[in-house]
Amino acid sequence: MDYQNTLTTCTYCGCGCTLFLESIDGKLTGTIPCKTGPVNEGKLCIKGWNVHEFVQSDKRLKKPLLRKDGELVEVSWEEALDFTATRLKEIKEKNGSDAVGFCASAKVTNEENYLMQKFARAGIGTNSVDHCARL
Amino acid sequence: MIDQVKQKINELLSAGSVKGVVALAHANSHVTPCLFQKDDDLSVLSLGDNKSDGDARYPLNKVLIKIARQYPDDAFGILVRGCDERGLYGLYRLKQLDPEKVVTIGISCPQSLAVQCECKKPWPDDMTAGEISDGVEQKQVQDAEGKDQSQRFTYWTDQFLKCVKCYGCRDICPMCFCHECSLECEDLVSKGDLPVDIPVFHLTRAMHMADRCIDCGLCDEACPSDIPLRVLYKKTAQIMNTEFGFTSGIDKNETSPLSLMGPSPEKPEK
Amino acid sequence: MAGLAASFGSGAMTNSVSELEESDTIFIIGSNTATSHPLVATRIFRAKEKGAKVLVADPRKNQIAAFADLYVRHKPGTDVALLNGVMKVILDQGLENKTFIKEKTEDFEGFKSQIEKVDLDEVSKITGVSVEDIKTMAQTYAEAEKASIVYCMGITQHTNGVNNVKSLANLSMLTGQIGKPGTGVNPLRGQNNVQGACDMGGLPDVYTGYQKVTIEEANKKFAEAWGVPELPSKVGLTIPEMISNIEKDEVKALWVMGENPVVSDPDANHVVKALEKIDLLIVQDIFLTATAKLADVVLPGVTFAEKDGTFVNTERRVMRVRKAIEPIGDSHQDWQIIQDISNRFGYKMAYDSPEEIFTEIAALTPSYAGITYERLEGQGIQWPCPTQEHPGTPFLHKDGNFSRGKGLFHAIDIKPPAEVIDEDYPFWMTTGRVYAHYHTCTMTRKSRLLDSEISGGALEINPSDARILDLQDGHRIKIASRRGEIETQVMITERVEKGVVFMPFHFEETNVNKLTNPACDPIAKIPELKVCAVKLEKA
Repeated sequence: MDYQNTLTTCTYCGCGCTLFLESIDGKLTGTIPCKTGPVNEGKLCIKGWNVHEFVQSDKRLKKPLLRKDGELVEVSWEEALDFTATRLKEIKEKNGSDAVGFCASAKVTNEENYLMQKFARAGIGTNSVDHCARL
Repeated sequence: MIDQVKQKINELLSAGSVKGVVALAHANSHVTPCLFQKDDDLSVLSLGDNKSDGDARYPLNKVLIKIARQYPDDAFGILVRGCDERGLYGLYRLKQLDPEKVVTIGISCPQSLAVQCECKKPWPDDMTAGEISDGVEQKQVQDAEGKDQSQRFTYWTDQFLKCVKCYGCRDICPMCFCHECSLECEDLVSKGDLPVDIPVFHLTRAMHMADRCIDCGLCDEACPSDIPLRVLYKKTAQIMNTEFGFTSGIDKNETSPLSLMGPSPEKPEK
Repeated sequence: MAGLAASFGSGAMTNSVSELEESDTIFIIGSNTATSHPLVATRIFRAKEKGAKVLVADPRKNQIAAFADLYVRHKPGTDVALLNGVMKVILDQGLENKTFIKEKTEDFEGFKSQIEKVDLDEVSKITGVSVEDIKTMAQTYAEAEKASIVYCMGITQHTNGVNNVKSLANLSMLTGQIGKPGTGVNPLRGQNNVQGACDMGGLPDVYTGYQKVTIEEANKKFAEAWGVPELPSKVGLTIPEMISNIEKDEVKALWVMGENPVVSDPDANHVVKALEKIDLLIVQDIFLTATAKLADVVLPGVTFAEKDGTFVNTERRVMRVRKAIEPIGDSHQDWQIIQDISNRFGYKMAYDSPEEIFTEIAALTPSYAGITYERLEGQGIQWPCPTQEHPGTPFLHKDGNFSRGKGLFHAIDIKPPAEVIDEDYPFWMTTGRVYAHYHTCTMTRKSRLLDSEISGGALEINPSDARILDLQDGHRIKIASRRGEIETQVMITERVEKGVVFMPFHFEETNVNKLTNPACDPIAKIPELKVCAVKLEKA
């Protein structure tokens, strides 16, 4: 029997509400607003209260997909990663660094955004990194 | 007080009389609802006081219902204040928890918290620690009723207009467990737009809670728009008392006058 | 954010969310706060309860407008005109803060001569707001002890969005309403980690902490830290520029992480065409979004519930994200995906955890230098936080000491939207959000309650327009702009004024971004999602 409440930050809007993701035996079972959270003080909006729900949706992508003969088909991580790296290398060599663009994200973490722009700038050699801050 | 609570939890867990104890813990510099099991570190135990008394209370009964639905054969301990214990009595009546499978560890509320809550009974019958504070007479309802009708109408309309329809009053409520919620019934409340139907949304909930609300105040604290929901529910509870002599959660073997209406609640499914 | 950065030296929200409770006047413009930022609305409701005056300006009478002491409905795209009018009144009546202007700001004279030319009757005609209301707004704001401005996409998503923001900055400096608790200019960030994505250098011109790629010192510092001989010093492309460079065959590969530009970007048909054309489209996401369906390779990342890391909220607060459950299926940590590709590509990365990455960020970013995961326990930390001992910064520009030195006034003239109504397209169309959904709905529509609250985008239309078009609630309607056409149902409401229609942008089936105008602000490159011209036809 494993009952946990994991303290985290809501992934919906920019308010930054502190909440607990409640789980029983490794499955999310609910969201509880954190009373001592600096912004929300134990309150949440309708999206926040239901933020655990999309996580375990059966629509989640569970395997990498690669387009073969026009269709996206499930492949191994090895194949997906090799394909991606090889194609990026080919395009950089043939068309130059600025032929590659990166769309970072206002939804993922700082660490992930940092790594993406680091790869864009130091790996590929382009400053074409943007995200949809404007939208 | 906390040492007596720790001792009781320790006894229950070591004796194996319960599978776990639903309580609060300090974690990540916050207070967290948690389940203590055998050999867990009890030094992190919290009674729900952060900056002031009882300001980090959580709906532990609701946590217990969730765990008990997954593990219906096990018994659990639970940390309770007066209001939580009233809630348990109601949940036994409504067949959401089995009294044979629940062991309470009761603590009283300090006078300051009792005053803030205007709590009539700020202690549980089954007390493990603390001293009994005085029950507090209800003034908020009286004050609200002191205004004339048009003032009252304007006041509540303005309050309900602020609603952002988070359903937090329902979602935090330890007495809300229905699989189908009347607030989501489109014959009663329309969907898709703000502000919510005034006053249908809030009064539907107030009616539904008439024989359930145990006056814990968690809905008030969860409302992003600071709507004084507790006053509203105190009022419905008052009507139940004057009309039927019923007060939710005062008697362990209570029956509700409203149980004459409609089918009796079903046993929880796993 | 470019507008605030130009005026103050920093593009972020100047105050903390909780400080709004202390404000005695709150001026909300272009923000549907109760819907899009409900927990910010909480503080506004409380301030009002304590006696604060609430002023709301918005072309659409949203929920928060119902609480306003004064609500004005200005026409879409006339924000600068309205604000210039307000500032004209302040100068005419001598309500400006002369000491503040003299000691803490520069370029006031140029601004002043611009405002002196403003004619209030003309402003009233352009905006549709009465001169009397403009005067009341000016007096209430200027005479407040602590006044806060709150704005959102209703200000920025215009071809003159930067000018709108600069005008708000002008207003705050003119009256000295900045640099104190509960006193400042507060852009509410739409997405959970927009602030973080900007802070982390997810922009074409800066590294972390807004260190410019064009400045040699920064360029060298990062090249050294990242172990490469040199880094590109030319500013890169924005997303709209990438899209148009795909069409010109200059961009051949695009890696999209956790974004869905097919639904969120303006002129969606055009985006789809570009993404169908590109040689290599890599999409890293949690769902098979409309964008992912066009990809050559789709890499399944994880949700916030399955990862450790940090987000930065709208008030610059760096906050921990903690892993609650194991990754679903065979999805991988997003940082791990980038690292694995980088290593295969030939640029070595060897991180063991997000915390290790964060330590590197803090070492390279002065405003994050004092932040560690350990210090983030509890309440998080608001940057700038330059040292381990620094407590963080709840409000910026203390006592009018601006990040850029002196606050800079800008003379701003009015400019109409890029597209205006005409005989063929006679309705103003504006877009926004609804309470139960987030962005392109890829997450919220997977939730039973949220999907059952609202499952489609209706077109809001004024009763008098509905009468002319013979429409009733729930009728189907065709909406067309110069770029595309969609069909949806009608919701008749006084919330929008005659001649203006509104639609939420969340829904793929009724993708309003097939209609919107991709014309951008020349500086911030923000597309004009809030105004375009459409025609309506009963379906």
